[in-house]
Amino acid sequence: MMMRSIVLVTSTAAACLALPAQAVDADAAQALAKKSNCMKCHAVSAKKEGPSFKETAAKYKGQADAEQKLTAHITTSPKIKVEGKEETHQDVKSKDSAEIRNLVQWILAQ
Amino acid sequence: MSKLLDRLRVRLARYSALKLAVVASLLGLFVGAFVFAGTVAGLAWTNTEPFCISCHSMKDNVYAEYKGTIHDSNRSGVRATCPDCHVPRELGPKLVRKFEASFELWGAMTGKLDTKEKFEKHRYEMAKNEWISMKSTDSRECRNCHSREGMSKELQSEKAQARHAKATEEGKTCIECHFGIAHKEPDGPGPQELFGKQAAP
Repeated sequence: MMMRSIVLVTSTAAACLALPAQAVDADAAQALAKKSNCMKCHAVSAKKEGPSFKETAAKYKGQADAEQKLTAHITTSPKIKVEGKEETHQDVKSKDSAEIRNLVQWILAQ
Repeated sequence: MSKLLDRLRVRLARYSALKLAVVASLLGLFVGAFVFAGTVAGLAWTNTEPFCISCHSMKDNVYAEYKGTIHDSNRSGVRATCPDCHVPRELGPKLVRKFEASFELWGAMTGKLDTKEKFEKHRYEMAKNEWISMKSTDSRECRNCHSREGMSKELQSEKAQARHAKATEEGKTCIECHFGIAHKEPDGPGPQELFGKQAAP
C-alpha cells in the first residue's frame, strides 16, 4: 500500500513537472484569443489600438514572472491607457487555468 | 480563294443592297447577343465560391482559414464569400480586376503558390496588395454591405463607438483596423504602420 502511494505520488509529480515542457497549443490559444475579443485591439505582429503580441513578448522577454504578470493583466480587469484615455482591459473569456496558461504562453512565444 | 469570293459576289448581286444590309445587321445582332451573353455568364461563373476554390492554393490556405469566421457562418446565415470582398461590384472596376486576375492564372499554371511554404512566402505581399487596394477605395467592398451611416451606435459597445468616431475623424477606412479577420494575419507591418495617419481618399 505504502509502495503504491509512493509510486502514485512520484508519477503525479513527474506528470506535473512534465507539463511546462508540453508544447503550446497555438490553435487553442488563437481560438480563445478570438473568443475573448483580444483580436479587436491586438494583432500578432501588426499594430492596433493595443500593442502587438510580438511587442508584448519582447517586453516580458527574460523576466521570470512574465507569465504571472501577463496572466494578471488578462484576468483582473486592470485599468489601461488607450491613446491617452483610460479604459478597463477586458478579461479573457475563460475560467480554466490551463486554457488561460496556454494562451499566455502562446502570446509570450510570439 | 479569289474564285470563291467571285462566286459569292455574283450570288449576292442577285439581292438588293437593302436586303443584304438587313440580313447582315440581323446576323451581327445575333452574334453580338451571343458574345454578350457569354461574357455575362463568364463573369458570373468566375464570381462564385466554387470557382474560387477550384484552385488548390485558395482552397487549402485562405479558404480553409476563412471557414468558421463571421463572414462564413453566423446567426442569420447571410454570407460574404470570396468575390464579395475581393471583386468590385461596379462593372468598370470589376472588368479591371478580372483582367488583372488573368495574370494570376499564369501564376497558377506555373505553380507560384502550389505548396504551403510557397504560399506563406508570398502571404505578406498578397495581403499588403489587398490592403493598399482597400485603402485606395475607402474599403469599397466592405462598404457594399456595411455602411457607416447604417451602423446603429446604441447597439455597439462603448469602446466600438469611441473607436469608430475617432476613425471617422481621422479619415481612416475599415481595413486599417479590421484586417486579418477572414484570413491569417501575415507576419509584418500592418495597415496602421503602412498608412499611418494618411486619410482615406
